[in-house]
Amino acid sequence: MSVALTPLLWLALALVVVSQIKILQSTVRAMRGADAASARRSIEWAYAIVPAVALVIALAATVQAARQHGVRQEMEARANQVAPQ
Amino acid sequence: MTAPAVAREPSLARDLIALTKPRIISLLLLTTLAPMFVAGTPSWSVILWTGIGGYLMAGGANAVNMYLDQDIDHKMARTKLRPIPSGRLSARAVIAFGIAIATAATWLLGHFVNVLTAALALAGFYFYVFVYTRWLKRTTPQNIVLGGAAGAFPPLVGWAAVTGRVDLASIYLFLIIFYWTPPHFWALALLKQHDYGKAGVPMAPNIWGEHETIDQMLWYTVLLIALSVLPVTFGVFGLPYLLAALVLGGILLRGVWRIRVLAARGESWIPVAWKVYKYSLLYLALLFVAMAVDRHL
Repeated sequence: MSVALTPLLWLALALVVVSQIKILQSTVRAMRGADAASARRSIEWAYAIVPAVALVIALAATVQAARQHGVRQEMEARANQVAPQ
Repeated sequence: MTAPAVAREPSLARDLIALTKPRIISLLLLTTLAPMFVAGTPSWSVILWTGIGGYLMAGGANAVNMYLDQDIDHKMARTKLRPIPSGRLSARAVIAFGIAIATAATWLLGHFVNVLTAALALAGFYFYVFVYTRWLKRTTPQNIVLGGAAGAFPPLVGWAAVTGRVDLASIYLFLIIFYWTPPHFWALALLKQHDYGKAGVPMAPNIWGEHETIDQMLWYTVLLIALSVLPVTFGVFGLPYLLAALVLGGILLRGVWRIRVLAARGESWIPVAWKVYKYSLLYLALLFVAMAVDRHL
């Protein structure tokens, strides 16, 4: 990955993680406030967790794809340096 | 005898078109067609058949949704003029119409585009009808969070129409719509709390209260902006898209933040919530246009 894109990747990932944690915290607070039965709370908790888990999988794939993209860019840059000679 | 018949014909046509919710579909179509230009350079026939199939599938899902919601649509000002609650169309005609056009869409997409495109569009139909409308809508305040997946299928459909597969870039387009849905719909839900309460639909503002809903709108918007820039890091988009995503997202975040500040001060946030609701539609449309433009610069 290019030097310029690395901070963008980690900053965006950090914002995604912090936002998702804040959303889960808010959902827990909201469920307590809504005075729901415990069975209902478990279901609501599951509804909140499912997208968070899917997001973690997507983020892991993103880091891998960003690294592969970086390797490709590096190889292209080297090829361009060699080509004129 | 002739005059009423002449007047009735266009009314039936208008009602059938109204069943498909054309204004909502226009955004769904944009989020289907723009990703096709991100994925490659589609032929005119693929664009045409994907557009027609996409409209019919989404229209079918909307018609079936109106059939399933007929018991609550007459209770809400926003929906009481729909063809079933106003008595202009029978419920049986509406469900038959919805299933017929969704079936036609499946055949058209499978025959003229590819099987994966047809399967993804049909999955979106089933998700909207069974998972969102039948299961989540009336049982949980997180209905539109998970239900947002139904509206996020169009980019997968458009992408598959051009490439014949689903990959990480297309999943990001899905995620962008998925995480756009809460701030968009909760802005409307905040404004229509009374209506949703009357109909017994447990929207977040009615169940969790305004404070938690606005708080989540804010964090979903931050998450959305962060997700919208991530495809740049693995080479899908370049600098023009990155700038567009940051500017468009920044305007949305400013609007949601303003609602939060006004709510905390106890001042009226209603005009700002309207603006956020309307702007969120423009945001998604412009973001997808920026994606397509960036790929062809």
